[in-house]
Amino acid sequence: MPRLIWQELKFRRNAIIGWGLGLCFFPIVYIGIYPSVADQMASLTDLAIYQYMGMNLNTFGNWVGSILLVFMPLIASVYAIINSTGTLAGEEEDGRLEMMVTLPLPRWQIIVAKAIAISLALLIILALVAGVSLLVFGALQNQVETDVTGINIFMAVLSVWPLTFAMGMIGLFLAVFAPSRRVALMLAAAVLIIGYLGPNLAASTTALEPLEPFFLFSYLDSSGQAIREGQWAGDMLVLILAGLAALALAIFFFARRNLTVGVWPWQRPKVARPHSAVQPPLIKE
Amino acid sequence: MSDKVIETTGLTVYYGKQRGIKDVNLTVEQGEAFGFLGPNGAGKTTTQRVLLDVIRPTAGRAAIFGLDSQAQGVQLRRRVGYLPGELALYKDMRIDRFFEMYEFLRGANGAKGYWRELAGRLDLDVGRKIAKLSRGNKQKVGVVAAFMNRPDLLILDEPTGGLDPLVQQTVMEMVREVKADGRTVFFSSHILPEVQAVCDRVGIIRQGELIATQGIEELIAARLNRLTMVFDDIPPAATFDLPGVSETARTERSITLEVRENLPQVLAAAARHNVRDIETHNVSLEDIFLDFYGKGDGGNHA
Repeated sequence: MPRLIWQELKFRRNAIIGWGLGLCFFPIVYIGIYPSVADQMASLTDLAIYQYMGMNLNTFGNWVGSILLVFMPLIASVYAIINSTGTLAGEEEDGRLEMMVTLPLPRWQIIVAKAIAISLALLIILALVAGVSLLVFGALQNQVETDVTGINIFMAVLSVWPLTFAMGMIGLFLAVFAPSRRVALMLAAAVLIIGYLGPNLAASTTALEPLEPFFLFSYLDSSGQAIREGQWAGDMLVLILAGLAALALAIFFFARRNLTVGVWPWQRPKVARPHSAVQPPLIKE
Repeated sequence: MSDKVIETTGLTVYYGKQRGIKDVNLTVEQGEAFGFLGPNGAGKTTTQRVLLDVIRPTAGRAAIFGLDSQAQGVQLRRRVGYLPGELALYKDMRIDRFFEMYEFLRGANGAKGYWRELAGRLDLDVGRKIAKLSRGNKQKVGVVAAFMNRPDLLILDEPTGGLDPLVQQTVMEMVREVKADGRTVFFSSHILPEVQAVCDRVGIIRQGELIATQGIEELIAARLNRLTMVFDDIPPAATFDLPGVSETARTERSITLEVRENLPQVLAAAARHNVRDIETHNVSLEDIFLDFYGKGDGGNHA
């Protein structure tokens, strides 16, 4: 198993570097420019679009929260779903998964190794962004009037991991469940977009309020308070449990499916039960 | 341990309503090279995928080394080398890294680094990236990957596809060495002389059903005799109008017949017409295969 995880991580090396450096854009630019735009930002808070998106920019903590806990998680989640749908459905479509499942590895190990590799890749990417955020903040700290510390920012970035883990595992499940990568990615993107916009829609529309618990982004607090005090542990736990549930479903469906057939589960043939010895056929035609 | 390396019983796969294979009963013994023949879509690849648990049977069982392909797939796959017909590789990897990974994941089975020797035999430059390889070189990578842990059973689907004739010869030599070593080969190919050259027995699959399983020599001996007979006076067509006998060519002096049955009666009839010469033609596996598939008559000879 560790061999497989290591190999899966090696496959993701370039993506980790690329996405990690790309996401560092957020702290470098947005924390970096804060001292020069702080006054203007405070006045933007009244704009309807910012209010609709739940963004409050009147303090450094709120500003950092709006960037590192709103946009950055969205982009990191995009990586999570692209990677997770590509790793199974993509490999299945181009035939590489057939080579993998004909190795002496149980199917659950293949899925779990991929899940761990995706989770570690996300953690490495976020740790890189967190480290860069810490450095940028350290360089500008004396120009910013705030009670937020570098460690607060570092931990805030890492707190995005449970959300991206949940999205990655949902992507993995959809890759197993759906007949093609395209469909899996489409469905995962829909879950992401709805999960992202849902909390604000639910906050502004009474009829949608009961649906709020189903929107994943509602479990990530983007306020300045969350930057200073961290996320609520219960929310983090919900996200991790959602991810684990999706992973369990992925394992369940992958263990029971045929490869390279490209159909929905309900179109797949009813499978004969495995047996330890060769038995007469169940159906005689 | 059972001498049966592969055993399928009533193996059936349906893709929804579409037939994959139907009621396939097959046995491959230890140390034999078994040729698996059939046109595209007949069910060859489906059978191989069920054996390796890539897809699951709708009904029936498949076992390798007495191990159920579904329930004990991990144990049995340790002993199997597989070359799929549609080979897909990790394009961004270098060939040597790919083999190291493959050895790492499947276990070397006492043959650590054997891939280097195999790559050398196939003249494969392992320092190159897979993405830059021609189809033939990619096929070499697949061949090495299948052979590299000295498996007890090799399942090869069109192993020489895309290879030049010299490399094809090398691959066939490698297959013969595996067989000589007492290991087993399950060999699927469209190149019938290749199958005839290495296999002891063949199974012929048509529209998902196994229609014949027989030793190649027996198959050739039993199925068909092709005779060209030269006469001073050519006899009338009705002379050889016997069950299982068909006239395929006629000149002023000679008649060519395909004889499935009644050979003694054919020879007796020829003798009555003062036959001067009888030439027998070697029947190839290709002739047998085409005979099974009926040359357009629906192929109901089985």
